[in-house]
Amino acid sequence: MSHIDLKTPPKREDRLKACIAHGGSICELAGRSGKKSCLQNDGERSFTQGSICLLLPALAMLNSLPDNVVLLHSAVGCGSCSHSQNANVRFGSTVRQGKATDARWLSTAMNETDVITGGEEKLEQAIIEADQRYKPYSITVVSGCVPGIIGDDIDGVIQRLQPEVNARLLPVHCEGFKTKIWATAYDAVYHGIGRTLLRPGEQEAGDNGLAPFKGLERLPRTVNLMNVSSMGRVDELELERLLKELGLDVNVFPVFSHPESMVKATQAALSISTCPTHDDYFLSYLEERFGVPALIQHMPIGIENTGLWLRDVAARFGFETAADGIIAREERELRDALREFRPLFEGKTVFISAGEFRALATARLLEELGFRVVGIRSFHHDEFADVEYRKLAQSTEEDYVVDIANVQPFEEANLLRRLKPDLFLGHANGNGTAAKLGIPTHVIYNTGLAYIGYKGVYELARRLYRQLKNPIYNRNLAENVRLPYRSEWYGANPFAYIASGGTEA
Amino acid sequence: MSEHFIERPRYTCAQGGAAATVTALPGGIPILHSPSGCAGNFAWTQNGGSALQVGGYCGTLAIPSSSIGERDVVFGGDSRLREQIENTLKVIEGSIYAVLTSCVTEVIGDDIQAVVGDFRAQGVPIIGAETGGFRGTSYDGYDLVLQALFRDFLERGVAKRRKRVNLWGVVPYYDPFWRGNLEEVRRLLEALGLEVNSFFLAEDSIDTIRQAGSASLNIVISQAYGLGAARLFEELHATPYLSLPLPVGAGATEPFLRAVGAAARVSARRVSAVIDTEHRRYYRYLEPLTDCFNDLDLQRYAVVVGDANYAGSLTRFLADDLGWLPELTVCTDPFRTEEEGQHLHAQIAQLRSQYPVQLVFETDGSRVISHLREQWPVGSYRNVFAPAFVVGTSLERELAAELGAPQLSVSFPVSNRAVLDRGYTGYRGGLRLVEDLIGAIIPGR
Repeated sequence: MSHIDLKTPPKREDRLKACIAHGGSICELAGRSGKKSCLQNDGERSFTQGSICLLLPALAMLNSLPDNVVLLHSAVGCGSCSHSQNANVRFGSTVRQGKATDARWLSTAMNETDVITGGEEKLEQAIIEADQRYKPYSITVVSGCVPGIIGDDIDGVIQRLQPEVNARLLPVHCEGFKTKIWATAYDAVYHGIGRTLLRPGEQEAGDNGLAPFKGLERLPRTVNLMNVSSMGRVDELELERLLKELGLDVNVFPVFSHPESMVKATQAALSISTCPTHDDYFLSYLEERFGVPALIQHMPIGIENTGLWLRDVAARFGFETAADGIIAREERELRDALREFRPLFEGKTVFISAGEFRALATARLLEELGFRVVGIRSFHHDEFADVEYRKLAQSTEEDYVVDIANVQPFEEANLLRRLKPDLFLGHANGNGTAAKLGIPTHVIYNTGLAYIGYKGVYELARRLYRQLKNPIYNRNLAENVRLPYRSEWYGANPFAYIASGGTEA
Repeated sequence: MSEHFIERPRYTCAQGGAAATVTALPGGIPILHSPSGCAGNFAWTQNGGSALQVGGYCGTLAIPSSSIGERDVVFGGDSRLREQIENTLKVIEGSIYAVLTSCVTEVIGDDIQAVVGDFRAQGVPIIGAETGGFRGTSYDGYDLVLQALFRDFLERGVAKRRKRVNLWGVVPYYDPFWRGNLEEVRRLLEALGLEVNSFFLAEDSIDTIRQAGSASLNIVISQAYGLGAARLFEELHATPYLSLPLPVGAGATEPFLRAVGAAARVSARRVSAVIDTEHRRYYRYLEPLTDCFNDLDLQRYAVVVGDANYAGSLTRFLADDLGWLPELTVCTDPFRTEEEGQHLHAQIAQLRSQYPVQLVFETDGSRVISHLREQWPVGSYRNVFAPAFVVGTSLERELAAELGAPQLSVSFPVSNRAVLDRGYTGYRGGLRLVEDLIGAIIPGR
């Protein structure tokens, strides 16, 4: 039985034993020191700062879908993050369809009365009205914390209403208090897609096992390229370029893809993940139900990782020689081009902070550019990243700190004051701490900028070169503003508030 | 307007407005008693809607949060909150700490006031407010924080000072022009000889805020936001309040200053002197625009879309200061009763130009065009709605494109402008607004 047969997806704490609170080191996490501590016993913090919940990444995906209405069933604030995601949707639709289109999201804006009497009836009426007013292909019904606590049954509402409305109704469970691993968001979205747009049972048995969605044929040279909402069109184009050169056709999925076209994913000969944190839940479903095998290791960020990723794909089709040729050519050209920047980068120290896989892959990239990694903060930890920690543990001469933290800038401030890196790369809305400490900063993803593949390496190098050529803006900030932490905090163990302790940094 | 949903709500919840408000206080440290995601939601909201203003001294992702989970939902979050406050005091340095509840912690019934009260009894400068998201919008959250501040932080029974006033009514970050809007009004009040506490500006300190009960008058530059707090202030500290529309431009600022002058017992002569000086400068600066204003035919039909502060005040400015033709004004706040919007009817009924403006209450931006089409049908040989201008939020770009009109984002969300200390209040704000409106018409010149 697949998880998608369950009403709601399991949280990643249970499914993957994922954790958010740990202070350790690269060698320890890679198992090299032989004392990988018991991460599964997620030591929570006795002091925490706010972070995000699974609703945000889920909406980042859902808001991008053309012809879809996002209907939030929650209090009025849940989903207001869409105001920033809307900028991404406008930019993404401009580069894909040539026209800036605003995302369309609605809120049932549950009030005190709804909390007492239940919100199912309001939700029903909202679905009916949204269906009539906007005539969308699909309505994604996203539940927040309040319906999760008072027990509104969004699946029941959808089941009752589906025969009465034209839009396809997708349930997406995002009750934020239920999981602290926000990557559960991807499972929640894919769960809704799997249960609704690729309904179980709607495939025919083929001659040799599993077949695509009914009425569709297997396409032997088509691959699903799983994009992520942190990846812009420019990055997709880079990966499409490499895959097409191998002679493959590319189906980019699911961010910005039309819900009606999502069944195409069942026709592919292979699904290729660009971020294992993102895709495992859905790729195993496509494999189990529709016989689409999956590749789910390596993120094509950095020279070596892009090569590994491309070679893995090629091997599935017997195109290894072609891949080796492409890789050799690209690496040669790229290394030549990077020579200009290397003197400025060589030996400079860097601290990296982001979602686990992205942080680790970017760390390797920065090593390839000549930087020395002195610390990493991963937003969570699960088994998929073990291989990346091992790569980094092998490439470093000295052990360095790894903080598993769902943001928690106070730990970061403490670490940065000790480590004084020459450069910091952080998540969107996550560079402020380093910037106020006067450290040159750069955002680790931005959908308008290139990060992925060989082009991504070069463009990132170009941008870092710019940042390091004149880092005075942050230095001015540091001289004139301060972080809110007490001076005593900088002298304390950065992991003092992780209940299970952690390694002294 | 739908009974069942709100399209792209142009605000966040009460807790979001409350957190932004506390961040804007000098040394203000919000402590969210909530699941982990609320702070991040507010960070992304401000990133997309507050004209590029995210955070502050202790804002958004730096905000302490109890980050409660399923276990706390079952067993209650009080002890987790107590632990969080204790450790916040050890890690974060602030002048005032404010515990703000969320939907989840209110539904499970945590008694934050008991916890907060224990800390206050030990001398910690801390307040608590029930700001669960289902209680309302960011504007309500602003009011709830001010109420908590007035109730539990301001010193009681301090002697009144005749010239001292408090000023509030614009919501930090959810009015992207909050700083500039407060600064200009503060400047004008000081010109009247008043001593101003404005809570959120660089000139304000936690000590003046603590002494805010000494004010003889509270001036709320809003007829919608912060009024609950004004009433509570009067009850607890016996200071009356004056609630006036956000004064945008010379035409609105003159009656504003006269009303304040009368209530604050400033001599009419002094008020007139200030108005004269400001008017002279205002028109001296506008004067050289006259040729181009005429030559380029810069009069426009207009649609105004905004919150309860901006909808009326921008309309008044366009109609009465600029001589534009604001045909339709849309207030997007989710008012629960007819009375809540009454002040806008009154404001528009009192236009000096007597321009007939249609006022609509509509939470859903995509419906604005149909309200306009009721008055201005499309067709050949018609006196069409052109040349037009859309003053609203960045979500009105779709409407502007449909009308073929330039657009200026003023009310939340403002995603396509960077605002630091620009404001539209008073005389200086009026001039800024003229610059920005006309700048949007002539970028290709």
